[in-house]
Amino acid sequence: MNKKGAGAVLGFMALLLGVLIAVQIGSNSSTEEGGLIPAARLSGLEQELKTVRAEKESVMQELLDVESRLSQLEKENISDDTLMQQLSDEVNRYKMFAGITDVTGPGIIITVDDPVPTEETDGYSVIMVRYDLLLSVVNKLKEAGAEAISINGQRIINTTEISLAGNNVNINATPTAPPYIIKAIGDPETLEATMTIRYGILYNMKETYGLKVSTVKQESIDIPRYSGVIRFRYAEPAAE
Amino acid sequence: MKKRGTAVLLFFFCLALGFLLVNQVRMTDGQTLYVSARTIEDYNTNIKGAQKELEDVKKLLAETRNRLETLQTSMENEEDVREAAEQRLADDLAQFRMLSGATALKGPGVTILIDDGTRDLLQWEDPNELLVHDADILMVLNELFAAGAEAVSVNGERVMGTSAISCSGHTIRINGTTYARPFTIQAIGDGARMVSALMGPGCPGTILQDYLIFKVTVEDDLLIPAYTGAYRETYQKTITQ
Repeated sequence: MNKKGAGAVLGFMALLLGVLIAVQIGSNSSTEEGGLIPAARLSGLEQELKTVRAEKESVMQELLDVESRLSQLEKENISDDTLMQQLSDEVNRYKMFAGITDVTGPGIIITVDDPVPTEETDGYSVIMVRYDLLLSVVNKLKEAGAEAISINGQRIINTTEISLAGNNVNINATPTAPPYIIKAIGDPETLEATMTIRYGILYNMKETYGLKVSTVKQESIDIPRYSGVIRFRYAEPAAE
Repeated sequence: MKKRGTAVLLFFFCLALGFLLVNQVRMTDGQTLYVSARTIEDYNTNIKGAQKELEDVKKLLAETRNRLETLQTSMENEEDVREAAEQRLADDLAQFRMLSGATALKGPGVTILIDDGTRDLLQWEDPNELLVHDADILMVLNELFAAGAEAVSVNGERVMGTSAISCSGHTIRINGTTYARPFTIQAIGDGARMVSALMGPGCPGTILQDYLIFKVTVEDDLLIPAYTGAYRETYQKTITQ
């Protein structure tokens, strides 16, 4: 009786042990193809990201200071001269159209994120592989009359590309990662109605690709300027 | 003896079991303890992106500082301050008009001809496969910009940051004007780089060639017209300091 009892306990424990070992091996092996990694590594990366972003903010602030000094100086020259005042306004207008000023206005914010990772999708990002969906969203926003658009802080200007470069999606040659936050200034009603149309682009992204998509209308959205230096190396003005 | 052997075995089992149990519990304790490799990757991408932005802004700062200094020295040496200021404004206007697409540009680049495919349909193939769609044009334009195109036009319409390419039945609308096939895309930039970006293995041009007519020619001297439409300025306002 005693012997039988010990055998049963032993059998049960061996079973449990087997299951645990299997689970353990399972969760370890998944690391190789994008499984689990200790979260402690994140905090270091988070810190690094914060540092770089903070430094960018401070350089940006410095840039704004220098720019305001510059425009102050220029204003001194043109005060009470209507012709030059007009010229200056015109300069600022085209600067805005070129996408090199921060702008504000009503519009919509679209957030796109990858589906909850499953066995199939873990390890790669749906929205990054199908970056043409982003291209299509931007195209639809333009069609709906958007005046200024940015994706994750990258302003869409005349020469903006959205391209897959290795593991990243580059926008304005700047690596970006999900979630994608797309901001557009324009008539909020038209923008929203165009984007959320049934069987339209956002519907398709949700239903076909399982992406998490949300749309919010807002009375005031700030869109940052293009922060690079634009210098044409091949194109020059054609005499008309 | 036999009983002892069982006890020893049981002891080791218990030890291993306890160890594994604790390990397992620690592993599943809270979601934040372990993250997927994807998250790490995304962080790395964001860091790379932020570094690129930082670099860009630094360059911009250096350039703006330069301008400020030039302005300061020239203001000290100027005789006719007003005239010089007017000249500066005129230069700025020309510069920003050029960047915003209001100026016709010339330079070397490529001409791309895209037309509906003329080959026979494969069995069960949808005729739509052989027609040019807005997504094809969009993809080609995107590839051109990725390859450093500085100014692009489609059938003579300047492509702007606000230009949509939209399909409307058998035609395509660009900047609000409707065009039918064939489509001619012209781009100013590094011709060789653009050709290789389009025609490399697996690149958009190479793929489209299986379905459509797709021809790329390198050009020495292209003219890309200015944007003639109205600029959109109903809702956006520049944020001033």
